[in-house]
Amino acid sequence: MRTRHPIAASLAVLGYIVMLVPILFVVVTAFTAGSTLRFPPEGFSLRWFEAALTYTPFTSSLVSSLILAVISAVLALALGVPVALAIHRGRLPGKALVEGLFLSPLIVPELVVGLALYQQLMVGFGLDNFQTLLFGHTVLMFPYAVRVTGASLALIDPAVEDAARGLGASAGRTFFSITLPLLRPGLFSAALLSFITSFNNVPLSLLLQSRDFRTLPVVMLDYVQQNYDPIVAAISVLILAATVLVAVIAERTVGFARVFGGINR
Amino acid sequence: MTHAAQFRGVSQVFGDFTAVDDIDLTIPDGKLTTLLGPSGCGKTTSLRMLAGYLAPTHGTISIAGVDSTRTPPEKRDLGMVFQSYALFPHMSVAENVGFGLKMRRVPAAERARRVTESLELVGLAHLSASKPKKLSGGQQQRVALARAIAIRPKLLLLDEPLSNLDARLRIQMRAEIRRIQAETGLAVVLVTHDQDEALEMSDEMVLMKDGRIQQQGAPQEVFPAPANRFVAEFLGYENFLTDPGGELTTIRPEHLWLTVGEQAPSASGGSVVSGVVLDLAYRGVDLLVTVAATDASGARVELLADLRAESAPDLTQGTHVWVHVPATHVVPLTGD
Amino acid sequence: MRGRTALLVLPGLAVLLIGFLIPSVAMLFAPPGVSPVEVFDRLGQMLTDPYDQAIVMRTLGLGLIVTVVCIGLGYPIAYLLSRSTSRWAGVLLALAIFPLLLSSVVRTFGWLVVLGSQGAVPQLLLSLGLTDSAPQLLYTPLAIVLGLTQIFLPLAVVASYSALAQVDAGLDEAARGLGANRIRTFWSVVVPLSGPGVVVAATLVFAGAVTAYTTPYLLGGSRQRMLSTQLYTYSSTTIDWAAASATALIMTVLVFAVSGLSGLAARRGATS
Repeated sequence: MRTRHPIAASLAVLGYIVMLVPILFVVVTAFTAGSTLRFPPEGFSLRWFEAALTYTPFTSSLVSSLILAVISAVLALALGVPVALAIHRGRLPGKALVEGLFLSPLIVPELVVGLALYQQLMVGFGLDNFQTLLFGHTVLMFPYAVRVTGASLALIDPAVEDAARGLGASAGRTFFSITLPLLRPGLFSAALLSFITSFNNVPLSLLLQSRDFRTLPVVMLDYVQQNYDPIVAAISVLILAATVLVAVIAERTVGFARVFGGINR
Repeated sequence: MTHAAQFRGVSQVFGDFTAVDDIDLTIPDGKLTTLLGPSGCGKTTSLRMLAGYLAPTHGTISIAGVDSTRTPPEKRDLGMVFQSYALFPHMSVAENVGFGLKMRRVPAAERARRVTESLELVGLAHLSASKPKKLSGGQQQRVALARAIAIRPKLLLLDEPLSNLDARLRIQMRAEIRRIQAETGLAVVLVTHDQDEALEMSDEMVLMKDGRIQQQGAPQEVFPAPANRFVAEFLGYENFLTDPGGELTTIRPEHLWLTVGEQAPSASGGSVVSGVVLDLAYRGVDLLVTVAATDASGARVELLADLRAESAPDLTQGTHVWVHVPATHVVPLTGD
Repeated sequence: MRGRTALLVLPGLAVLLIGFLIPSVAMLFAPPGVSPVEVFDRLGQMLTDPYDQAIVMRTLGLGLIVTVVCIGLGYPIAYLLSRSTSRWAGVLLALAIFPLLLSSVVRTFGWLVVLGSQGAVPQLLLSLGLTDSAPQLLYTPLAIVLGLTQIFLPLAVVASYSALAQVDAGLDEAARGLGANRIRTFWSVVVPLSGPGVVVAATLVFAGAVTAYTTPYLLGGSRQRMLSTQLYTYSSTTIDWAAASATALIMTVLVFAVSGLSGLAARRGATS
């Protein structure tokens, strides 16, 4: 990109370096044949990928992470979409307050939420850690479920739903044959965002971990603290590849910038 | 006389705003009725109550003689065309038109036949497989019409159907809607703020203001005899002056004519008012002249005269003129 | 109608109350087996004890530095992308958004590889002969600033971009046409109009930076303790509920105060 803004362009280049270069180093290190994080890497091998995929704490926590992310994303949508409908279509007193409440998990620090749930639900109320995690992750995704599907709902001309009613469709029939199909891009965006948010979450998953149920990021954090070998680089590269795949899927369906940047270009 | 629909004492109150204020209205069968008025007059609210999207605060609405005040929209059998057309974007043209029939569990073969029939009526049978997004505004409008007609409704409701079309297409669609109304024999209710549209299309027109009906009747009855100043202004009567008897009267700009000269001309068959030209606007065929004058009550009035440009006297700003007000065209006004 | 609408909201509201609102309030004032008085006693101690004060000040200071750096780097990126007509602008925007999707553990791990004693930067400095022994870069404030900048820069870019994209490029041209040069146009048209959006971006970055856990934990270690790492220690290692709640209270007040101030500033800016 040629530019007539030399200062802005220099700062921008610096920004991209800080954002992306460390990730490149992780990728390079993952393929080392040596057994440390030394740079430059000592030779080329895939041994650390094999090690990562056969290291049980990683594989079992990956499964835990996926289960948690899928269930809580489904829950957040199942509970959040009706709220979005009530806010945008229903006659609800105090709409702004209801919407504010459902967006509020965004403004409270996640670590504070994690501590609250740990203290009150696990220690205080005796829920097990999976149930508590499910509560926490679902609540954390409410803002996406309510706001993203709400934004998508706001784009649907209410007259379209009126038209269906006028043509003889009941309220339920109208929702399933008109509203829901038109809402699909919004639902898909919300689901992807929710899944990613849950999968990557550290603060909640960290505070609410138990010996039997820990998520992958928490296990990785622990591992990095105690060991200094490239196995984490290998698992990082695998996560990176999966994330790229998610980004490509998003781009092919709704549009990458629309899903993750909230940007309509 | 049979009624397609009837409003009795109907009001619609939103908080402290009364959108429709105790109206009685009869929609005749087999005719095109327009609800005409400026925005906020209650015409669209009335239509939405008729369609069942709004429950009246007070009063009853009957459709084809049956009280339908509490009937939900899907049970009313009315065909509605929305201002935004409200086509289902995820369905093809044929699926849109067939939607109402599907809801009525019409068998597929019969449905296909009636979809084609409706699309032929609006001249779009060849586009049945297209998605609405691919169509022009005028075509979307026709699909919306076909969709509403396909269910063989008791009434066809049109909410400002032409307001999103360009001027040329709008004129064309007026005739088209009239043709469809004639071919189907449906009772049609059309909401509009355009008096030309209402005059050209209506069998019956209903003028509304502030939630109340101001005047109702055939265009041929209403236009020459507006009931009050609001109706007169809305129908393009520009000139309001008090006659020697102290009554408010109105006259259309094209019925005034102007002469120049020192001596006051004789006022045979009307009256003559003295005035000064304020402004001239040349419109090709027409010449619009604004004249400052004083009426019989002594009030200063501005009169607008619409003259044939080729036969108009030579005028400039400040020219002293005589304004002739022929008695045959003077309309007395009552009420406000 | 109203009853049916309420039915849509109730299940979600129940989960929100049990899984968030009630525990959050209860935790700040009544941790299990601890009286609210103890929480406030502990809070008082923290605000006067020099060791705890240093942690609060470090958190606040690093948060401010990270905010300034993220806006300083993110706003130019957003400005150039929003004003570019190049086909590459879309790709560069996607590259700036992409890190948001990637696990912060993975992203922060990158700095261990870059800054660790056997990592790229120390080894490069050594081989250039600039230092005699590999310099200690990890577990320094610099490492935390770099790590947090990497984490929150995408957020700054996205939020600034949304603000800038709403500023009609025609306004730039109009200002130029009226005789303002490029720099004048930028400062007198683009900056004031995108200002409220930048305040939002800065708030998001600051709130994130003072509450982030992964980065201070991995790059700051026990030498550069911050509020977030303290909170975890209190709740999971020393199990000191009063201290954990007091720390959470400081964190929450900090974030709410800054959000409130910026909300006020944005509104002031929008109306003036």
